[in-house]
Amino acid sequence: MFSEELKTLRKLGFRHLLLQVLNFASVLASGLMIWKALGLVTNTESPIVVVLSGSMEPAFYRGDLLFLVNPPNTRYQIGDITVYKIPGQEIPIVHRVLETHDIAKTVNGVREAVRRPENQLLLTKGDNNYLDDVELYQGLDWLERKHIVGKVRGFLPYLGYVTIVMNDFPKLKYAVLGGLGLLALIQRE
Amino acid sequence: MARGGKGPADSPKDSTATPSPRSILPITPTPSKDRDVVKVNNANLIELKNALDDAIKRFLSRPDLFKQIHLHTDVRLALGWTSVIIAGSTAFYSYRLDFEQTKPVIWIGLIVYFILTSIQALYAYFVEGDIIFVGKRKTFDKRIVTERITLSSRTKPSTPENPPGYTLSLTYRRSTNAGKSLLGRGQTSESRPYTAFFDDEGVLDHDRFETWVGEIVGRAMEPEWQ
Repeated sequence: MFSEELKTLRKLGFRHLLLQVLNFASVLASGLMIWKALGLVTNTESPIVVVLSGSMEPAFYRGDLLFLVNPPNTRYQIGDITVYKIPGQEIPIVHRVLETHDIAKTVNGVREAVRRPENQLLLTKGDNNYLDDVELYQGLDWLERKHIVGKVRGFLPYLGYVTIVMNDFPKLKYAVLGGLGLLALIQRE
Repeated sequence: MARGGKGPADSPKDSTATPSPRSILPITPTPSKDRDVVKVNNANLIELKNALDDAIKRFLSRPDLFKQIHLHTDVRLALGWTSVIIAGSTAFYSYRLDFEQTKPVIWIGLIVYFILTSIQALYAYFVEGDIIFVGKRKTFDKRIVTERITLSSRTKPSTPENPPGYTLSLTYRRSTNAGKSLLGRGQTSESRPYTAFFDDEGVLDHDRFETWVGEIVGRAMEPEWQ
C-alpha cells in the first residue's frame, strides 16, 4: 500500500524526508504554542476544560466546553463558577462559590482579615449537589486562592464529548493521531 | 565571437580537461530504462506541479549536468526544526513544573518561536519565492568557470480557452574568478500546458518534458556565450 510513497521518498532523498516530518512537527508545534499563548493571556494553566460530571446541572452538562480566565488581582465573588484542583487530585472540579472569607492575621494585637485577593478563602458547592464541597477538600476547611485554576467566562455545549470519548477509549486517540500523522507525512501540500 | 568546443584533438596538452560549458548542449533526456514511471492525479494541480518540479530536480542534478545547491531547503529546515524544538522544550518545561513558576520561560519561548516562524515565512516569501532548483557547475577551460542556474516555476490557472499551464523561468549566470568576473548571463521563460506532458492516466512523459527543459536551458546558456 505504501510502496509508491516509499519509492518517492527514497528517490527524493533525506532532505525531503526531513521536510515532510518538519511539516507534521510544525503543525503540532504551532498548536502547542497557541495553547500556551492562550494560557498566558488568560493567566491560567488550562484555559479550556471539559465538564465531566453532572454536578452543575442545569447550568453545565457533561460534555460542555468551558473557557476560563484567572484575573490576577481580583477577588472572586459569591456566585462565580470556579474550577479548582485539590493538591493530590488530578481532576479539577467545576463548582460555584458559596462563601468567601479572608485569611486573618494578627496586627497590633488585633486579629483582622487582610482583604487581599491572594488571601481569599473560598467554599464551593455544585448547583446539583445537596451538600457543599467540604468533603472534597481532602482535609482542608477552605479552598485557598492558589488552588483555583480559573473562573468560567463562557462555554460551548457538547463539544467536550470528543475529549471524553478519546479518554474513555484510548485506542481511538492513538488511531486518530496515527492517521493524522500518516496523512501529513504522505501529502505534500 | 563563438568559440568551438575544445576536445582532446584541439589542445593536446589539455587531454585531461573537463568539457567546456558549451559541450553539455544539447541536453538530452535520460534514457527510459533509468526512469521510474511517474503517475499523478490528473485533476490535482498541486500534484501536477510537484511532479514536474521533482522531475526537473532529478533531471538537472544528473552527474553530467548540474549540482544542486540546497541553500533554500537547508535554511527552511534549520529555522523550522529550531522553532519546533523550542516549542517542544517550552511545552515540556511547563508540563514538568508549576504554572506560576514557568510563566516567564513560556513568555520567552513563545516570543522566540514567533520570531523564528516569522523569519521563516518572510524568507520563504521574499527570498525563496517560486524557486524550485538552484544548480552550479564548475568547469576548467584555462580558468575556472562557474555556472549558476536558477529555475522557478509557477502554475498558470486555466481559462475557458486554455488548460492550466506550467510556466518555467530560468536565469543563468556564468562567471570566473570566484564569481567576480561576469562572463555571461541569460534569462528565459516559457509556458506549456500541463496536457503537453501528462496523458489521460496522469503518467508523465518524461522524454518530452526533459527535451523541453533541455531546450530552455540551452536557450538560456547560449546567447551570451563569449
